[in-house]
Amino acid sequence: MSASFFPVATLATSLAAAAIIFLLPEGAVRARTGLNLGAAVLKIGLVAWMVRGLSQGQAYAVEFPVLEGLAFVLRADALGIMFAGLSSLLWLFTTIYAIGYLEDSPNRRRFFGFFSLCVASTLGISLAGNLFTFLIFYELLTLSTYPLVAHRGTPKALAAATLYLRFTLTAGLVLMIGMVALHTLAGDIRFGQREILAEFGPEQRGVLIAIFWVLIAGFGVKAALVPLHGWLPRAMVAPAPVSALLHAVAVVKAGAFGIVRLVYDVYGAEFSQALGLLTGLAVIASVTILYASLRALAQVELKPRLAFSTVSQVSYVVLGVGLFGPLGTIAALSHLLHQGLMKITLFFCAGNYAEELGIHRIDELDGAGRRMPLTSLAFSVGALGMIGVPPLVGFLSKWYLGTGAVQAGMPWVIAVLVVSSLLNAAYFLPILYRLWFCPGPDHGVGTWPEERHLGRFETSSWLLLPMLATALFSVMAGLLAGMPFSPLEWATRVANLEYLP
Amino acid sequence: MSQVTFAVLMIAALLWPLALVLREPLMVALVEHGETRFPLDTLWATAPLPALALALLGPDGSLSLSAWLLGGVWVLDDPRRVLLAFSALLWLLSGWYARGYLAGERDRANAGNGASATRLSRFAVLWPLTLSGNLLLLVAEDIASFYLGFAVMTFAAFGLVIHSGTRVALTGGRAYLIMAVFGEGLILGGLLWGAGSLGALTLGEFREGLATAPHGAWIGLLLWLGFGVKAGVAGLHLWLPLAHPVAPTPASAVLSGAMVKAGVVGWVATLPLGEASAEAAFIGLGRAMLLAGLVGAFGAALLGVCQRHPKAVLAYSSVSQLGMLAALVGTGLVAPGLWPALAPAVVLFAAHHGLTKGVLFLGVGIGEHPPRLPAWVLALLLTLPALSLAGVLGSGLATKWAFKAALYEGGHSALVTWLSLAAVGTTLLMARTLWCQWQGERQARRDGLVPLGAPMPLAWLLLMVSALTLPLWLPVLGMRPEPPPAAELAGLWWPALLGVLLALPGGWLIRYRLRRLAKRRPPPGDLWWPLASGLSRLWVATWPWLERLAVMKAAWVAWWVGLERSGTAALQALGGGERWLRRHTAVLMMVVAVGLALVLLFSAA
Repeated sequence: MSASFFPVATLATSLAAAAIIFLLPEGAVRARTGLNLGAAVLKIGLVAWMVRGLSQGQAYAVEFPVLEGLAFVLRADALGIMFAGLSSLLWLFTTIYAIGYLEDSPNRRRFFGFFSLCVASTLGISLAGNLFTFLIFYELLTLSTYPLVAHRGTPKALAAATLYLRFTLTAGLVLMIGMVALHTLAGDIRFGQREILAEFGPEQRGVLIAIFWVLIAGFGVKAALVPLHGWLPRAMVAPAPVSALLHAVAVVKAGAFGIVRLVYDVYGAEFSQALGLLTGLAVIASVTILYASLRALAQVELKPRLAFSTVSQVSYVVLGVGLFGPLGTIAALSHLLHQGLMKITLFFCAGNYAEELGIHRIDELDGAGRRMPLTSLAFSVGALGMIGVPPLVGFLSKWYLGTGAVQAGMPWVIAVLVVSSLLNAAYFLPILYRLWFCPGPDHGVGTWPEERHLGRFETSSWLLLPMLATALFSVMAGLLAGMPFSPLEWATRVANLEYLP
Repeated sequence: MSQVTFAVLMIAALLWPLALVLREPLMVALVEHGETRFPLDTLWATAPLPALALALLGPDGSLSLSAWLLGGVWVLDDPRRVLLAFSALLWLLSGWYARGYLAGERDRANAGNGASATRLSRFAVLWPLTLSGNLLLLVAEDIASFYLGFAVMTFAAFGLVIHSGTRVALTGGRAYLIMAVFGEGLILGGLLWGAGSLGALTLGEFREGLATAPHGAWIGLLLWLGFGVKAGVAGLHLWLPLAHPVAPTPASAVLSGAMVKAGVVGWVATLPLGEASAEAAFIGLGRAMLLAGLVGAFGAALLGVCQRHPKAVLAYSSVSQLGMLAALVGTGLVAPGLWPALAPAVVLFAAHHGLTKGVLFLGVGIGEHPPRLPAWVLALLLTLPALSLAGVLGSGLATKWAFKAALYEGGHSALVTWLSLAAVGTTLLMARTLWCQWQGERQARRDGLVPLGAPMPLAWLLLMVSALTLPLWLPVLGMRPEPPPAAELAGLWWPALLGVLLALPGGWLIRYRLRRLAKRRPPPGDLWWPLASGLSRLWVATWPWLERLAVMKAAWVAWWVGLERSGTAALQALGGGERWLRRHTAVLMMVVAVGLALVLLFSAA
């Protein structure tokens, strides 16, 4: 019973929450809030139970055939549960934040309904056991995110949402073509059955390589690889919790996670290396990292700068995948979590500045450290983590990427990492300088663009607490990386499964 | 039992400064607004005390924390003990000094000046934070902790440098930060490359493995230059003379005394010094270090004597002294067999220079606010540490003998001569410092005198005593520097004598004969200014190209948008055709039907 119960129940939690929220009237704020939080906590509990079970050697899977030779498979393996854990944990914080952020704004029923649907699809992506199931939830994610990006309904928001839909739907089409081609060639490949493709003869290799790049092109849109990243900086018009969701929890991560699945669980790292695919990935990722960092440097508004930073940072995951060897894999998997923790903190902070003080541009941040010390502290934590300063989690990712690069025989990657760190420092340190060292309205220089007093502390507690929690997590996950069940430790466990027979 | 004592002392040494960091914001939040309060109280000044206790009382040992980062290992052994002791002592006395130095700021803050209160509060937070980074990097044996300490120290010290918030302070801070970030990048590259090739997590494994690693010398090069930013290698020293004069005096003292030593500690911790098996390429690296060190030692002396601000002169003197240290470390690479004898001399040099340079910097503040002492006593007291740095007496004499003896034994007498000549430069720099200070002191004496028991003179005098008597109390820490034999004294004293003989006529010439030359003195930070203006010119030159790129991209996007629009227009034209069909299909069908009927009619006929 429990083997099939847990994956279905986890998925059903968010789906049911979405359905009930759509049925509830707009004014039922308390019921909706309670339902949202209850579902989030319940889901964390279910995922935690599966983590515990998995580490004791239990298996969780459910499947039923859809067509002849094609099955719908939900399965919790170590990699999937890692992503599920990330999304359910960050979902809780994002939900709390969103409740505070959208207080007294219209259309909250629609927002939270699609919000739950979005997370349900992310969970489906993480628990999917083959490409077919993956694709279903991947497309569902695209569709459920559209109303969130368009939420404000302004012409700018609608244009950004349309652009988002164009990018992701066409990418979904490309992905489906690749998947069908692979299915015709090899049948239904469950994630983890790496031997199927590895047994193909040399005459099929050209086709396999072509299919690989088609699939990467499909995933690359959501993973925002250059030059397919154009939608992400535009989607900045969405409300802050949606940005957090796009950048840290769901959408961009789904693309990166797809690439991870494709390389490790469909093609297999060794076979990909033998086909010469990994070096290509590492090159694409390096270009993305450097290009996006340069573009971030040129932004004058806070959220676009963070958006380009995401484009750059998510490619660290792809870079790690491209580095053949256990260390590169650890880097890729752990950065999937680390980037989520840091980026969500940064977006929460950006949202707090916008809500409390009306700040959107970087030069308006002067002296905000005095007015909002906790938010600025959390922002500093996130920014220093992005630069890769220990003891924050970003340092660990960089460490494993660098050592993994040497292990994979590509020491030039270290130069990319160093340049990227310098660029990160160049676009984050000036912000920190403005926050803490420049005199601002609270020192008697100028005024805030639009100051509101949302709460007893520096801003509303709904906005403050999730941000502090994620900042604390990014410090603790770095400082105590050697503890069991830390992101790094879990990533190491998954990498060992991949490389040790 | 001793292991427990060790662990408790170690953790206390690292956590106590952090606890004091957290205390300040709590105090700000808890204390009533408007109540008078001095953030730099006695408790605040105790931040380095546990570290000092660890150095003096703690047994040798190591503490492993598997949950910490990538696995933490914190170690105390003999060289670390000396470094820890002198750093903690310098931080302790400089902190006490700061209580007097910033008293004016306190008065302004209590009088209701918000900016002063903010600055004071920030100083109270960043001082112990920088300290904790400095202490951690000294005891760290695992690479991650070491890098953590280094980074915390570097970034937190930025806030100390720009304390006053003036335009010059911001320029100095900017130079400091840009170069520091550049150095961090190089260090990160070197550490990642090395640790990746060797699979090393601790500095000991790293150092041993690097000796025979492939591309080891390139990794060594990155680390040399990366740590060299902190240790003022010639060419990378630009931030020192810019940041030191603008920082508050106690911060300059710890910056120049303790923090720049982190660069040397980094070299000693990562480079395969004294490894006989090291690749031949390391000898080349060692030669480069040696050469760059000597260039720094002489060049900084030349640039330093042209400076007007005593702290700028002292900063150049630090570059010069660090150049000598770098030359000694480089010798350890060139002649690995010599390193066991040279290593204690390097540690002694670091401790001696740290404390003495600390006294000299604190002395600048003393010259600006003279204590209640006769002028000649004050002059004598200010001269003593200068003579020590020149190698005439006290710790300077012991240090000089220590490395001279080691180098002579190894047959490197040429290097000894070069270092002695560099000591002539040191003497000139010291003479210049004293001259600059004396100019200021005469003015300050008219403004009023400070009681001798006030924090500033007290800390200064205590630090001077501990610096001069360093060879006497070092045995407590397990290190016994040999006193120089009487026969060698002449050989140790001639550079200082020569320096004094050169300084007197040189000073006279510059003051009375070569005034025009004196006006064209190089500014502090020498190469920084041409570099900065060159870069900004380059930026101005590339800007049109970037704009052209942006235009090209816009044209590309416009082309696609145009394509889409014409595609949509074609679809709409199709729609128009359909509309026409919809309207006229019936007629068309009629025409067809009639046509068919006619065809049938005529074909039948």
